[in-house]
Amino acid sequence: MTAETEFAAQAHPLDDIERLGVYQVYTGGGTGSGFLIDATHLLTNCHVVQPYPEVAVEMRDKSRIIGRVRRIHPHRDLAIVELSRAVDGEVLVLSDGEQLKPKQAVHILGFPVGLPLSLTEGVISHARQLLDEQYFLQTDAAINPGNSGGPILDDQRRIIAVTTCKLNTADSVGFGIPIADVRKFIDEFRAQTVPFGVQCPACEELIERAVRYCPSCGSDLEANHDFGEYFETPEAHPLVGFVEGALSKANIDPVLARHGSQNWSFHIGSAPIKIWCCCSEHLNFSSPMAQTGSKGLSELFQFLLSAEHAPFTFDLVGSTVRLNLVVHISDVFLPAEHAYLAERVRQFILKADVTDDLLIGQYGCQPAPETQTDHLSAEHGFLI
Amino acid sequence: MSIASLQCPLPIRRRAAVAPRDYARRDRAIESFEAGQHQESIGETLGYLLPDIRIPDLASDALCFVQGSARVRIHIEGDELVLTTSLAALRPDAQSTAALRFFLTRLSATGQLFQPRLRDGTIRLEFRDRLSLLHPLKLAEVLQRLPMESDANDGWLAERFGVDAPDREAIAPLDDVEFARAWSIWIEHWNSVNELMLESRRRRSVRFLDALGSYAANQVRYTLPLFGSVRARLNESADDYTDKDENPNKRDSALAKCIKEMRQVSQNELRQCLGHSSYAINPLHEGTPSLLTSMLGSGHRMQTTGELRAVGRSLEAALELIADYLYLLADHSWPVEVETALRSGLDLVSGKPWREAADVLWNHANHTARVFGSHGEHDQDRDDDRYNDSEPRYDS
Repeated sequence: MTAETEFAAQAHPLDDIERLGVYQVYTGGGTGSGFLIDATHLLTNCHVVQPYPEVAVEMRDKSRIIGRVRRIHPHRDLAIVELSRAVDGEVLVLSDGEQLKPKQAVHILGFPVGLPLSLTEGVISHARQLLDEQYFLQTDAAINPGNSGGPILDDQRRIIAVTTCKLNTADSVGFGIPIADVRKFIDEFRAQTVPFGVQCPACEELIERAVRYCPSCGSDLEANHDFGEYFETPEAHPLVGFVEGALSKANIDPVLARHGSQNWSFHIGSAPIKIWCCCSEHLNFSSPMAQTGSKGLSELFQFLLSAEHAPFTFDLVGSTVRLNLVVHISDVFLPAEHAYLAERVRQFILKADVTDDLLIGQYGCQPAPETQTDHLSAEHGFLI
Repeated sequence: MSIASLQCPLPIRRRAAVAPRDYARRDRAIESFEAGQHQESIGETLGYLLPDIRIPDLASDALCFVQGSARVRIHIEGDELVLTTSLAALRPDAQSTAALRFFLTRLSATGQLFQPRLRDGTIRLEFRDRLSLLHPLKLAEVLQRLPMESDANDGWLAERFGVDAPDREAIAPLDDVEFARAWSIWIEHWNSVNELMLESRRRRSVRFLDALGSYAANQVRYTLPLFGSVRARLNESADDYTDKDENPNKRDSALAKCIKEMRQVSQNELRQCLGHSSYAINPLHEGTPSLLTSMLGSGHRMQTTGELRAVGRSLEAALELIADYLYLLADHSWPVEVETALRSGLDLVSGKPWREAADVLWNHANHTARVFGSHGEHDQDRDDDRYNDSEPRYDS
């Protein structure tokens, strides 16, 4: 092997990002990124998880697990989430804090705008940029909503910072929380046994319950934040309460289904389910479950339009068949009808679960891009 | 510039005499619904939208009303209210697969409460829900949108897909005199739009294209009682060339294609797509004083039109003003005095040179907004109360 071919054959440390322990975090407010600090703990931004005590963390196979928020540091924008089970993603090494220099290459991992795990690259623009009385690592690498909480790596694949924000009024000005602060936050967490705590913005002492003044430094904790809210579960909008109540009755964990503000997504068996508001009047439940084949379309279309499916309906978006249910917002404000409507939602979910099998097995359809094919009935024997 | 003026002909399309909505009935419907009196609530909601129709006991008798070519039937079945209207009956020799695909892609959708359903070979638009889930605002939404959708998918479905169109209301054809005038308006209109299209391409102005697109669509909507395939094609094209989010080059191409197609419509084809129909529910948005003010008052919109006048760009200024007047008349119903005022503006400028048309209509618009528009907080509140079903729009 020549030197050139040997060089080409060498794997780059970031060639296989899929096996790295970097995951997408979902809440009722949005999505972000996070990375494993051990098999059962994920580090992310405080603003990614707040104000939710529980979040959903999505694995590579699209399954989600619950994460319970254990520590938050609102001032430094860090949080630690304890996962409901150990996961096997590779735990990335924290850099030892060696001197970082401008022009040094950086690699950012995360889930920009909700896309699958992505890598962006750039250089360090400033290693210790002072903003709002805190130091940040400044980079020109692309940072987008959804990247928050993800790791910023050096060429040796060591974490040198945690992505936190960017300037919206400028191009290519993004910021990461320096690794020294991250390491300190993790070390303190590991030395403590308190189930949930918030670090004082002034002295960084751990506070275990809602108080007005820091027991350690006496700072007025309500001065810049409504500190008590860190210890409370947020009050849900009636629409959120309705959807999550209905999902619970259908044995779907609403925390795992959350996909940003008034959006939910999950799989039931092989079928993907999405729930969203398209306007101020309609709450949509939809399952993009299959794609049309090339034969027997008349029979398929007649089946899809058949009145037997009411109150549900099918439509076609391109070649994708969707099963839909529409709930008017006025229904949400009729508590006496919630049990009836929750049953309708449950029936919708059950129908989605069986109908994708039916469309593929009897009507020559193919799985839709979001179908979890390993959950389809084995008898179809289709190839992917 | 080869075109020196625009004609603004009187409409052949009949303006339905629309009684102002009785919002007290809607409020009573809400009160009844909240008190658990669901049938009373439905009766009030129907009375609010269909003031001229006697509402029967829906549990024993179906109500049928006509909206253009659509016949809408309403009845109570057990503890559910059912609204249906027939769209098409499949035939063995028809392009059934294409028709079914059309229903699944264009009429079935998220974000709407009614859906197409296939029963015994017939596609119907259908809405069905429990009485206890029929909040008046929800029912009003269905009552307004389902018939409109059915009317929009009239006989042209039969023409395009070879299906039958059962249970549709007949549309009264124009008499010979009316049709002769309609044909003349049609030819004149598309010739004018074609001339202005050349001007639009020469100027390469998106703003000019906006005004021309609005004029092209709304002049026809206002003057001619179109239905069927010509209306469907025109509306489909207008969706493209008036879409301000779309690339201007694509809009330009869509308008050029539309002009070409419309100029190729034969006399016989147009005759088959013109006729008078009746509407139980006002098919137009209710015009509001605040809409008049926002379109014709001293806001940003008129300021920029005024700037065009000031720098001698009379063609653009006149075209924008005429397009705005046509939009207000084509898409909205008004009290008689407002409609008369808007029409008089068009009469003043019909056939007048651009500069004169721009000056006259500019002054007329300011006057109309002053007299009939909203003036301050009190009127704004009144608008909100009276007209909250209407949204100001420019192009439709």
